[in-house]
Amino acid sequence: MTTTLAGGRAARRQTMRRIRPRRSPATILLIALWAGAAGVLWLWWHNTPSIADNNSRILNAGRITGLLAGYLMALVVLQMARVPALERRVGSDRVARWHAMSGRYTICLVVAHVFLTMWGYALQAGKSLGDIVQQTIDSINQLPDMGKAAIGTGLLFLIGLVSIGGVRRRMPYDAWYHIHLMTYAAVFLTFWHQITTGNDFAVEPTAKTVWYGLYGTVTALVIWYRILTPIRLNLRHRMFVEAVIEETPGVVSVLIGGRKLHRMGAEAGQFFRWRFLAPGMRFSSHPYSLSAAPRPDMLRITVKAIGDHSARLRELTPGTKVWAEGPYGAMTAQRRSRGKVLLVAGGVGITPMRALFETLPGAAGDITLLYRANSTQDLALWDELAAIADERGARLMYAVNSPDGERPDISADSLRRKMPDIDKHDVFMCGPNGFAQSVYEALRGAGVPARRIHHESFEM
Amino acid sequence: MRKSHPIRRVVLATAATVSGVVLLLSLKPASDPGAAAAAGGAAPQQTAAAQESAQGGAQAAASGTVTGDAAQTQYGAVQVRLTVNNGKITKAEAVQAPKGGQSDRITADAVPKLNQEAVAAQGADIDAVSGATYTSGGYKQSLQSALDKVKAAEPAEGSSQGSGDGSGGAQITRTVTGKAVQTQYGPVQVRITVSGGKITEAEAVQAPSGGTSSQKTELAVPKLNQAAVAAGSADIDSVSGATYTSTGYQQSLQSALDQAGG
Repeated sequence: MTTTLAGGRAARRQTMRRIRPRRSPATILLIALWAGAAGVLWLWWHNTPSIADNNSRILNAGRITGLLAGYLMALVVLQMARVPALERRVGSDRVARWHAMSGRYTICLVVAHVFLTMWGYALQAGKSLGDIVQQTIDSINQLPDMGKAAIGTGLLFLIGLVSIGGVRRRMPYDAWYHIHLMTYAAVFLTFWHQITTGNDFAVEPTAKTVWYGLYGTVTALVIWYRILTPIRLNLRHRMFVEAVIEETPGVVSVLIGGRKLHRMGAEAGQFFRWRFLAPGMRFSSHPYSLSAAPRPDMLRITVKAIGDHSARLRELTPGTKVWAEGPYGAMTAQRRSRGKVLLVAGGVGITPMRALFETLPGAAGDITLLYRANSTQDLALWDELAAIADERGARLMYAVNSPDGERPDISADSLRRKMPDIDKHDVFMCGPNGFAQSVYEALRGAGVPARRIHHESFEM
Repeated sequence: MRKSHPIRRVVLATAATVSGVVLLLSLKPASDPGAAAAAGGAAPQQTAAAQESAQGGAQAAASGTVTGDAAQTQYGAVQVRLTVNNGKITKAEAVQAPKGGQSDRITADAVPKLNQEAVAAQGADIDAVSGATYTSGGYKQSLQSALDKVKAAEPAEGSSQGSGDGSGGAQITRTVTGKAVQTQYGPVQVRITVSGGKITEAEAVQAPSGGTSSQKTELAVPKLNQAAVAAGSADIDSVSGATYTSTGYQQSLQSALDQAGG
C-alpha cells in the first residue's frame, strides 16, 4: 500500500525516547490572570477616595466594569495570538474555550459599562434614567475618542451576536471567521477612549504606562506569532500537495511534500491549520491533525468529508501550494505520566491516535489502541495500524456496531474485563464529543484518574 | 472532561460579578478619610501663595485680598477669597466650588448667599444654606482659614497700602483676570495675583465641567496653577490627559500677563 508511512526512521527513533512528562502551565497562567484582575481593581480602589451617593455608586460601578472589560479584552486577543506556550502546552482546544468564555464575559462587561456610565452621567447632569439615550449621544459628541469607541463597541456587539451558538451554526465558517477578525479593529477603536477619558489613567501616569504595555505586548505577540512566524515557516518549508488518496469511502489522506519538514518541530498528536491555494479554498484555513509522524520529506493528514472544505480536499491536484500554520496542540507524548498508554479513537479521531500509536515511547505491550467506528469498512488506516501493532508488539482493538445496528458496549465493566490493569494507564482520547463524554465516564468508572485522561475537543 | 453546565456557569459568573462590584462599592467610605490630609497636602501651594501675597503685598493684608485654604467636600473643593479694607470684609467670593451636573445648580444657588452672609457677619459664624450642607461646611472652613490669615497679617497694618482690582494708583498687589478661552469642552479663564512683578497666585475662574471634564478639571487645574506660579509666565507644560484645558489655560494666562504688564 503506497500510503503506508509506518516504519520511518524518525518514528522509530521516537519510540525509544525516555518518558518526560511536562506539566501544563495552565494553573500558573490562570493565577496570573486573576492577579492582573486584582491589580486592576486595586487601581480603581486606589484612585477612588470615597463614594457619597447613588450617582457616584453607579458611575463607579461603570468604571469597575469598564476597567475589567479593558483588561479582559487584551487577554481575549492574547488567547488567539497562537503563542506556542498556550497552543502547545496548555492546548489549543482549552485556550479556544477560554477565549470563548472570556469573550462572552467581556461583552457582558462592556454592556454593563456602557449602561452604568451613561446612566451615571445622565444623573450627574440632572437628568433621569430615561434620558440615557440622549446622554449617550451627547457623550459621543463631546468626549474625546468616544466616536471611535462607539463604533468599536458596535462591532463588538456584532461579533458577539454572530458567535452565539445558534447563529454561528447557521453561518458559513468563512463568513463567521472574517467577521470575527474585525475584533482587532474593535479593540483598536475602543482602546483610545480608555486612555483619554478613563479617570484612572488620567490620574495615574503609571497606570497609563502599564495599559500601553499590556496592549503593546499583545499587539507585538499577535504580529509575531500570527503573521511573521507563519510567513517564515512557509518560506522555509515550501509545502505542496504531493498526492491525495482515498482511504475509505469519505475519508481521504493528503500527502504534503516540502523541504526539511522534520525541522518544523511537529510531534505526533499535533495539528496544523491548512490553507490550500486552490480556487475556492485559498481564503479559509482549517485545522487537521497529522495522521503520521512527520518525515523530512512528507507530512500526511487524514480527513473525513464533513463540511464543504473537507469534501473538496479530494479534488486537490498534486502540486497545489499549501500554506500551513502550526504546529499546534498539546495532546502529545509529553502529556503522558507513566509507562502504559491506552489510545481511544472515535471515527476520524483516529488521525492523531494513529501518529501517537506509531511514536509513543514504550516497550511491547505498553501501548493499546481502541478504535471505534460504525462498521469495519469505516476503520480508516486499519492496515497501517495492524502493521504498527505487529512491529511494536502493541495491542489493537476495534469496536463496531453489530450488523443490526446495535452499538458496542464500552463501559467500565467491559473496559476492565478487556484490560484488568486499565487504571495503570494514561488515556489519550480523540473523537466526537458525545463519544468522548461516554468513554470518559466509563474510564472514570474503571478507576482511571481524571488527570490522566487526555482529551482534545474543538466543539465549544 | 467534566460535564459542562452552561447555565450554572452563567448564573455563577453573573452573581460573582454583581456581588463583587457591590461589595467593592459598599466598602468605600461615604466621606473621604484622607480628605483632611489631602486638603493639607494639596493646600501648600495655595497657602504659600496666599501667604506670599500677604507678605509680598508689603504687609498689605489688612487691606487687599486673602485667599483661604481649599476645603475638600465630597462634591469637590471650596475655596473662599476675601477682599479686606481696613480690617473689614468688603467682599467675599468663592474661587472654587463644587462643579458638574447637580453641583452646578447648588453652587449657583448657595454661593452668593454665603458670600452675602460672610460680609454681613464679618466672620465665619454664618448659617449653612439649606440643600447645600456640604458646600456650606467647606465654605465656612475656607472662610475661617482666610480670616486667620488676615489676623496673622494685622500687626503690619500701619504701613499698609491699598490694593485690589481696579483700585488704581501704585499697586503692589494686583489681581488680573485673563480673557476666557473657548476649548472644545468649555471655556477656560485664568485669574492671577501679581505682586512685585511676580505671579503669586494663579487660579481658574472658569474651567470645563460636567462628566469626565469635572474630573479632569479637578486633576489638571491645581497642577496648572502651581506651574504658572512656579514659571512666572505662560510657558508651562500641559497636563497629560487634559490637553485642551491646558492649552486654554495657557492662552488665558498669557492674556492675563499681557494685561498685568500693560
